[in-house]
Amino acid sequence: MGEFIQFTLNGLMAGTIYALIAVGIVSVFKATKVVNFAHGYIIMFGAYFYFTFSVIVPGAEWAPDWLQSWEPAWMVAMKADLPMFSPMGAVLDWLSNLPRILLGLTGAVICNALLGLLIERTLMRPLIGQSTFAMIMITVGLISVMSGTKGLIWTADAEFVPHIAPNTPIRLNLFDTPIFLFGADLVNVAVALLLFGAIVAMVRYTKSGVAIRATAEDQSTAYSMGISVPRVFSRAWVLAATTGAIAGAILATRNGVSPSLGLFGFSVLAIVLMGGLDSYVGVFIAALTVGFLEAMAQWQFGGEFAEVVPYIAVLIVILIRPHGLFGQKEVERI
Amino acid sequence: MITGDLKATYAADERVLNNSYKQTFVLAMAALCALMPFIANDYIILVASQMGIMLIAVVGVNVVIGYTGLLSLGHAAFMAIGAYSIPILHRLMESIGLPDGIMPFLAIPGAIAISAIIGIIVGLPSLRVKGLYLAVATLSANFIIIFLIELEAFAPWTGGLVGLNTPDPNILGWQLDTQREMFALIAALAFITILAIQNLFRTRVGRAFIAIRERDYSAEILGISLFRYKLMSFAISAACCGLAGALFAYFYARILPEQFELALSLQLVAALIVGGMGRTMGPVFGVMVIVMVPEVLKFTFGMVAGGAAEVVQLRAPVQEIIFGLLIIFFLMFEPLGINQLVDRGIRALNRWPFARG
Repeated sequence: MGEFIQFTLNGLMAGTIYALIAVGIVSVFKATKVVNFAHGYIIMFGAYFYFTFSVIVPGAEWAPDWLQSWEPAWMVAMKADLPMFSPMGAVLDWLSNLPRILLGLTGAVICNALLGLLIERTLMRPLIGQSTFAMIMITVGLISVMSGTKGLIWTADAEFVPHIAPNTPIRLNLFDTPIFLFGADLVNVAVALLLFGAIVAMVRYTKSGVAIRATAEDQSTAYSMGISVPRVFSRAWVLAATTGAIAGAILATRNGVSPSLGLFGFSVLAIVLMGGLDSYVGVFIAALTVGFLEAMAQWQFGGEFAEVVPYIAVLIVILIRPHGLFGQKEVERI
Repeated sequence: MITGDLKATYAADERVLNNSYKQTFVLAMAALCALMPFIANDYIILVASQMGIMLIAVVGVNVVIGYTGLLSLGHAAFMAIGAYSIPILHRLMESIGLPDGIMPFLAIPGAIAISAIIGIIVGLPSLRVKGLYLAVATLSANFIIIFLIELEAFAPWTGGLVGLNTPDPNILGWQLDTQREMFALIAALAFITILAIQNLFRTRVGRAFIAIRERDYSAEILGISLFRYKLMSFAISAACCGLAGALFAYFYARILPEQFELALSLQLVAALIVGGMGRTMGPVFGVMVIVMVPEVLKFTFGMVAGGAAEVVQLRAPVQEIIFGLLIIFFLMFEPLGINQLVDRGIRALNRWPFARG
């Protein structure tokens, strides 16, 4: 029972990160009707930008020392007094890493936003009004371009990056079995949930959110109502790219940066289709479900089975409910 | 110069090679392929064999994407099934004591049939969903099939992660153990596949596929059973990919599961888009470009760097970028592919000097 709870918690925590990634795909789809197959690679770029600004740049010769490791006198004094493996020690370690973490996050968000703008401007905007097939296939082409570009810029594989929060282990006792949680994981979940909530609220209540929803409903009507549809498009792409940057940074702290982060996007795409392409709620539920199922598969059958869980789940859901659990059925006119 | 579409009989109208240009072109190509094993050097034979294998697969992809309009991103899985069927079937036939000489005659149709059956299963979601949902469903199928091949439990049959050694085909005592001999087989089968698929689109089945591509609801109203024809389309295209996979297994000494991952599926689709969807010659042009890109890169990198390790390791990423850019370029500027460019060129030549374009 204790093991079950441990795996469930792990799964749900992974699920919230899936949800954060999925939000990017859903936002772009809602605004532009394009399903971004390359979203995983945008996340990968976010992770590599985080790696660049939090590891490579502080490690450079011209960078000030405090950027690499910030150790004022009081912190050294405090560290000296602490026993090994104390929670306070983890917090202090995190504090001395804080400058480069902040630099990494800002750098990743800004660079990824620029990347999103670039993609939207050069590839998506010329195709407004073209068939969806062309747009989807362009994002498929983008997969190759981005993974190749990554190989040209960054040759490092499976490098580790600083956690974005103090990584204190937390031990609980439930049903007589110890359960381990890590501080950084909890903060990741909190960040993911906050961002997810903020985006849903933004789409529902703010002016630009209304513009996104109106564009989703009918592009030409939205245009004639004075909404600048191209601007809505670029806003959606920037939104997707920035949430992708943060998701990428979080994923990088969990498993290190590697090109396999790009493949992650496909399982999230499966989750998005499972939940319904245009429903934030559905996608959130699907993300948690898949996270849970993956953890169960890992527990019962072993790690390699976890990889195919999203794909099997999406096949089953698509066969039963073609538009996902909560998706709107498309009305097709002949 | 063709002055008009002048046909006196129905038989003339229905011919596959309906004008003298096509006849000359096809005959010349057939003659070239027949001569190549005798005159070409080893390198050309290797590249041409790769093209032949890819060509058969892309012709199959063309049936589903180009003619039936069902977006599939999982065709590498069918190639994997075709490829893995060969050593497994060979082993089965050995265990019942069949002579080597007739094994390919059973193994190749067997591989095609298994792929077609899997194709029907993978095509099942196409009855419920289309467009992007189908793309993701086929993509998922690709991941799942590769996962099953890599699975430890099936490793005695599939070799798991480390792959499998494949046998050389032995046709009635003629052991095809050099690439030159394999090329003859590949070229012959590629020719047959293209002609068969081209012929398919003069029949009721092929016209039903095209009707489904244009508007599936309208096709259904006209009395075309979507259930039957969508699955048939998947089965035919999977069969072609299965044949390509079988030849792949015969051609190379060893097959690995990672060769059939998403990258190959994307390559197949890229070849189709670059060449031109829904046209007979589309796959041919597309495959030429897609197979030549790595070779040309190898050549240029060899010339520029002369073997410097730092430069050589940049080749794989550059190749990926070029594949992606090719897809994007053709979708944005020439969605009908090279085939359209060639058509335009031929038309201009044909009308010259009376009119342009």
